[in-house]
Amino acid sequence: MENNKKIRNIIQALGEHKDAQAAIDLLTELGTNSPDDEIRELTAQALIKKNTHDSLKVVLISKGKGINDLSARVAMASINELLSLKDKTEAIKILDDTIKMHSEEDVRNTARSVRALMTFSS
Amino acid sequence: MQIGKLSLHTAKAAQRTTASNNAAANTNKLSTNPFGVSFKGNVLQADVFEAAKKSSIGQNITERGKLFASAVVSGINNFNEAFKSRMNSIVSFGKKITTSVFDTIEKIGNTEISLDMSGIKNKLFPDKQYSVKNLANKSVDELRTLWEGLTPAAAV
Repeated sequence: MENNKKIRNIIQALGEHKDAQAAIDLLTELGTNSPDDEIRELTAQALIKKNTHDSLKVVLISKGKGINDLSARVAMASINELLSLKDKTEAIKILDDTIKMHSEEDVRNTARSVRALMTFSS
Repeated sequence: MQIGKLSLHTAKAAQRTTASNNAAANTNKLSTNPFGVSFKGNVLQADVFEAAKKSSIGQNITERGKLFASAVVSGINNFNEAFKSRMNSIVSFGKKITTSVFDTIEKIGNTEISLDMSGIKNKLFPDKQYSVKNLANKSVDELRTLWEGLTPAAAV
């Protein structure tokens, strides 16, 4: 089995793991900082699927991660995953807080755009 | 009386033999084909020119039959020609295939075959250790170790 395939399986396993907090920490540490676009994309999707405050915070607020990723592919995949969430309450709450309070203008603007998309899609 | 009867029979038989000989002679004469195409069997002749005088209905039918038979014979001849040419092309194709098969066999004879058994094994039986079900049952620390072992940075 290829290494990338093995890592994909590890990310998927972490997405379903019982120890949610430890899994989120590992995904944040190794996955979101990976030089491979595909790994970052899968990590962001796994974190969004978890739909917890801590997992969503990583992909919505952090600069260069999730929806703020420099790779359009990763950012778009994250936005798609957010839009396909059944319960968007936590994500919308974090986005609202980011629009109001985040120090970085880029992050605020991205959060505003994604918030608008989520409003129209729901 | 007996002698008279016998002589009558002999005369009739002789007449029949003469008639059959005449028919054979006619057949041989007809087998000469003016177009240079030879057939096995009888050549059917038909008049292609208009008859000088009108013939009866029965004669018309016979002539039409002859025309039809002639067309059939020429059709059979054409078919034979086409069949022969096709057979030739099929035979040459078969020869080509035979040559290429022999070439291939020769090449196979000169080729060394080596099998990457580990690669085949990996394809047929993917590593169960890395199946999602197995990985989800492992602790996060174990998963971290596995992940770090797979990243290129760890190898450097």
